[in-house]
Amino acid sequence: MFRYTKATALREVLVWAFALLTLLPFYFLVINALKPDEELLTTGSSTPPSRPTVENFTEVLTATGDSNILLGLLHSAVITVGSIAGLVAFGSLAAYVLARTTARWGSVAFYLFLVAIVLPTQLGLIPLYIGARQLGLVGSLWGMIVLYVGTLMPLAVFLYAGFFRNLPRDYEEAAALDGAGPARVFFRVVLPLMAPATGTVAILAGLIVWNDFFSALIFLGGSDNQTLPVSMYYYVGSLVSAWNKIFAIVLISMVPILAFYLFAQKRFIQGFAGGIK
Amino acid sequence: MASITFDRITKRYPDGTQAVSELDLAIRDGEFLVLVGPSGCGKTTALRMAAGLEEISEGRLLIGDRVVNEVHPSQRDIAMVFQSYALYPHMSVRENIAFPLQCAGLAKAEVRERVDRAADALGLTELLERRPKALSGGQRQRVAMGRAIVRQPQAFLMDEPLSNLDAKLRGQMRAEIRNLQREYRTTTLYVTHDQVEAMTMGDRIAVLRKGVLQQLGTPEELYESPANLFVAEFIGSPPMNVLSATVTRAGSGSELLLGSQRLVLPAGALDAYPELAGADATPVALGLRPEALRDAAGADPSWPRLLADVELVENLPPEKLVHLRLDAEPVVTEATLELAADVDQAAAEDLRALGRGSVLHARLPGTTPVREGTRAQFAVPPSALHFFDLSTGQAIAPQSPRLAAATA
Repeated sequence: MFRYTKATALREVLVWAFALLTLLPFYFLVINALKPDEELLTTGSSTPPSRPTVENFTEVLTATGDSNILLGLLHSAVITVGSIAGLVAFGSLAAYVLARTTARWGSVAFYLFLVAIVLPTQLGLIPLYIGARQLGLVGSLWGMIVLYVGTLMPLAVFLYAGFFRNLPRDYEEAAALDGAGPARVFFRVVLPLMAPATGTVAILAGLIVWNDFFSALIFLGGSDNQTLPVSMYYYVGSLVSAWNKIFAIVLISMVPILAFYLFAQKRFIQGFAGGIK
Repeated sequence: MASITFDRITKRYPDGTQAVSELDLAIRDGEFLVLVGPSGCGKTTALRMAAGLEEISEGRLLIGDRVVNEVHPSQRDIAMVFQSYALYPHMSVRENIAFPLQCAGLAKAEVRERVDRAADALGLTELLERRPKALSGGQRQRVAMGRAIVRQPQAFLMDEPLSNLDAKLRGQMRAEIRNLQREYRTTTLYVTHDQVEAMTMGDRIAVLRKGVLQQLGTPEELYESPANLFVAEFIGSPPMNVLSATVTRAGSGSELLLGSQRLVLPAGALDAYPELAGADATPVALGLRPEALRDAAGADPSWPRLLADVELVENLPPEKLVHLRLDAEPVVTEATLELAADVDQAAAEDLRALGRGSVLHARLPGTTPVREGTRAQFAVPPSALHFFDLSTGQAIAPQSPRLAAATA
């Protein structure tokens, strides 16, 4: 049985207070997303709407053209899923080779990947853009996937390599003696054991891609393939910004992530906590 | 089924250490050969070279008639049981056992049938859908065996497969592995550091020390005529007693000087040892198995008698294990120190510090009347004496087959 003492009661109150504090932005998000246009400028941003409405949601969801949110959502999803797939496929293979090779170039290559994590992406954006334009990758979903797989590869390799180094070689050796060639060893034995690493890469890279505004704006702005953050940007004007619409879109963009989190939570937490036994 | 041949195989690591030196070893078709030695003796390296997991620096490795030095492990058609079992944690028991068959490209129905058969042979049928994590140590061991036998490979390689089990289960699994091997008659190379395992399981045993083969023979050969002090002290539990002694001519026969005692050997006892019989005052290392010390009462009167202080009596029905102290010098060689250090470093220090006198172990029938703190007389059958060269540690082997000349 749990009994409150003064100390535990105080601790609980503090924890609750902190939890409420972190929920504060969410409160602003919700009340402003429910505000009708006429209340937007007449009331303060912390005042709840006197007449809550969902018309912001219906409006942004039915918009067409550059501000088509549903299409943006679809593009975001395609790019995110495609990038994760590419990162898992290539990142795990690259990291496996780097973690297992005893050759000198292995560690050199690994440190190059580390350097790439430290350098800001924006630094290479202009040459990347020029290269992508020459290859006809600007403005296409494919191009975006290639771009993200490339720029996030160091992160994926770094994460995977750490996991691979901790994987006992026994499994690979056992599989080889069982008659498996290198490809089968990797895909049937090693990669399935790397589920926690794959989960980590998918979550970290997925969030970066899903939330990315800057590269998406540069590479996709004005094209037919805009992602959700870029489409949202059309509600930010130079004179007036439709914050109630924007907040509605932010809420919409959170839905897939939350759904995914609820779905995957149990598995991933297990993976992170349990590791490989 | 095939033989495995190590033809002058050497393993040298990049830093220059030599793990295995010119190993010549032939495991016959269908034979169960145990490779045994203290930790770091190169036995696992030798096994891993046979598996193809370790590169061979020099020499040839043959499976059957085929040189496999450059053959990938997956192409050698051998199965290995790892010390850690290395069961794939993400697969069920069924998938684990089926994996080698899938690699071989067998049809689904056939895979199913063979897995079922193997599981039946190992008593795993109930556990087929479980994950390795949900199994006990003994069950995991069985699954690892199942994965090895299901493919009916040319040979089994086993790397200390029982070391993770508790003592009772180990005894049981020892028998199970042996039975399976007999049933399938698969050539087996089995690595262990446990001489009991080696003695009970092996058709033949190869003793390895610092990467060099010391002796290859049946358990009886190793026990009865060890090639050197290392093998003598490694094989047997408790180990052979080894003492400094001097062989001297006395009248028509010979005498053994052991500390302050003189042991008169019956005439002809050293006939098989021309080097010893003729020479005068030859220092030797004398080896006595614990069971070579007998109760003097009722023993053959021609056997030499030995007086020793009884320090401790361990009752282990139907036997008694008696610790004796004798004023003879113990033999402390590099080999004995290494064996002691393998148990623990402090034991090696003790051995050095032992100083004067040595401790002997005697294994006597439980009915023998010996009491702690007394001085007792023991008879030693001359045929049970082992002689070793004090400087090289090599056995001074009898010329003709060990004759029980003096044992009437």
